[in-house]
Amino acid sequence: MSEQLLRLDRVTVRFGGLTAVNELDLAVAPGELVGIIGPNGAGKTTVFNVITGVCRPGEGSVSLDGEGISGMPVHEIAARGVARTFQNIRLFRGMTVFDNVRVACHAGLPRGLHHSLLRTRAWAAAEEQARLRADSLLEVLGLAARRAAPAASLSYGEQRRLEIARALALKPRLLLLDEPAAGMNPSEKADLIGLIRRIHAEFGLGILLVEHSMSVVMGLCTRIAVLDYGRKIAEGSPAQVRADPAVIEAYLGESAPHS
Amino acid sequence: MIGRRHLPTLFLVLSLVGIGVLSANSGALNPYFLDVAVGAGINIILAVSLNLVNGHTGQFSLGHAGFMAVGAYAGAAVTLFAGPAVLVGTEAALPHALLFLGALTVAGLVAAFAGLAVGLPSLRLHGDYLALVTLGFGEIIRVLLQNCEPLGGALGLFGLPAYTTLGWTFGAAAITIYTVHMLVNSTRGLGFHAVRDDELAARASGLDLTRIKLSAFLVGAFFAGVAGALFAHFKLSIDPKGFDFTRSVEIVVMVILGGMGRTWGVVTAAVVLTVLPEYLREFSDYRMVSYALILVLLMLLRPHGIFGEKRPTPPPPTRP
Repeated sequence: MSEQLLRLDRVTVRFGGLTAVNELDLAVAPGELVGIIGPNGAGKTTVFNVITGVCRPGEGSVSLDGEGISGMPVHEIAARGVARTFQNIRLFRGMTVFDNVRVACHAGLPRGLHHSLLRTRAWAAAEEQARLRADSLLEVLGLAARRAAPAASLSYGEQRRLEIARALALKPRLLLLDEPAAGMNPSEKADLIGLIRRIHAEFGLGILLVEHSMSVVMGLCTRIAVLDYGRKIAEGSPAQVRADPAVIEAYLGESAPHS
Repeated sequence: MIGRRHLPTLFLVLSLVGIGVLSANSGALNPYFLDVAVGAGINIILAVSLNLVNGHTGQFSLGHAGFMAVGAYAGAAVTLFAGPAVLVGTEAALPHALLFLGALTVAGLVAAFAGLAVGLPSLRLHGDYLALVTLGFGEIIRVLLQNCEPLGGALGLFGLPAYTTLGWTFGAAAITIYTVHMLVNSTRGLGFHAVRDDELAARASGLDLTRIKLSAFLVGAFFAGVAGALFAHFKLSIDPKGFDFTRSVEIVVMVILGGMGRTWGVVTAAVVLTVLPEYLREFSDYRMVSYALILVLLMLLRPHGIFGEKRPTPPPPTRP
């Protein structure tokens, strides 16, 4: 099991008396697309916050490619190849679409004051690289035409895509998508499924997806983990999860899942 | 071979030469005009450097006069206490210039160190809390200086050599503008804006918040220190009262008036707010009142500053 990209080992997170995540085991293999579902308040976003270092696990450990990352600062975990989007979109609203992506293309830029003050050759080359990469990501996500627009002026769907572009700019090995389909209509959801498939194939990423929309999760993921009150109550293929009585009772209720 | 990327550097060198020539011929100018011009130059340095912290990085600091005081006293200490030993009575221009250059550098470095001391514990604070801590720092510095007898106590230091000229002031201003411009206009420099817009998203994008905030604080404090030393060798005497809270507010008003994050707007505001009070001397009692009024009106009518571009900030599209 050492070839797992991401591994959560008996992770527990408590906020005061509330146990948000309870002894969670979870693994994502390189290039795998895994979904997390669960009712509101099941601890899904907390799992993301633990993985990205926003909160520390009280017990248990998180490792990336076998290296323990729990307790590392957020930016170091990001630099190791874990990128994320947010449930409530968090863009750099005062900056242009292009700059939102470019700011995350900082890997490989020379450090040191003299580089930026004197515009050295190394600085110029790295700067050009960052610009090219930002532009190619905007192309992939269909935002090239909005390049110079302020991020705040984008439509809701475009803002979601811009967040994904910014996350991809980190050259991640693992991409965490927090409810990317929230608030989308069925045709937008279909587009999103196509987009996530394309990114998954093109960049060869492991993707962990938190989502409420059954059509999106069932359509994309090869494996799904179901959380309820911070505990994993089921895990398996979409068909297995859909048939699991515990899931039906805790999450889906009496009726069968619908889109 | 000079590429396009060297244009700002070329611009800096040309303006330094221009300022040098102008300064060498400034003897013919009206001394009153010179006085106002040097004051404007010092304010430009203060406003542009504070703009890096307040405007670009979004860390609301109210302690810029404190850093200025640190620089003023450090610079004055160099020329007063170390000067006689270094110069040994020489009248030649070069040793004096070198001594002043050294004093300005020491002033900047000591102020930057103070910036580090304030910046480190303040990094976890936001908005109003940070403003209060920096405000407190400024007051602490003032009270410390007031009670520090070796530095003249409440009377301050006097009898400083009149080193500050038009050339030194605007040379330093050009270097300040250049440094802030070069720092901000790059992919790495976008990090300052990212921290201002959304700290969590910035961290998740791999940006080191500590490093970015501290570098803004350090560079801002460095140039405030240089401005302080220029001010000291321009007024020829300094006392702690000259660096009180109202001075900090003055600089903040320049930044807000010019438009947070807009270098040329801030430069213009610094010049306007230096020159205008000269014409309104008879109303000087109302200066702070008018600053408050200007700020209130500005926030109502042009929240992005008089020279600031309108940045679109419609409420985020909230679909469930």
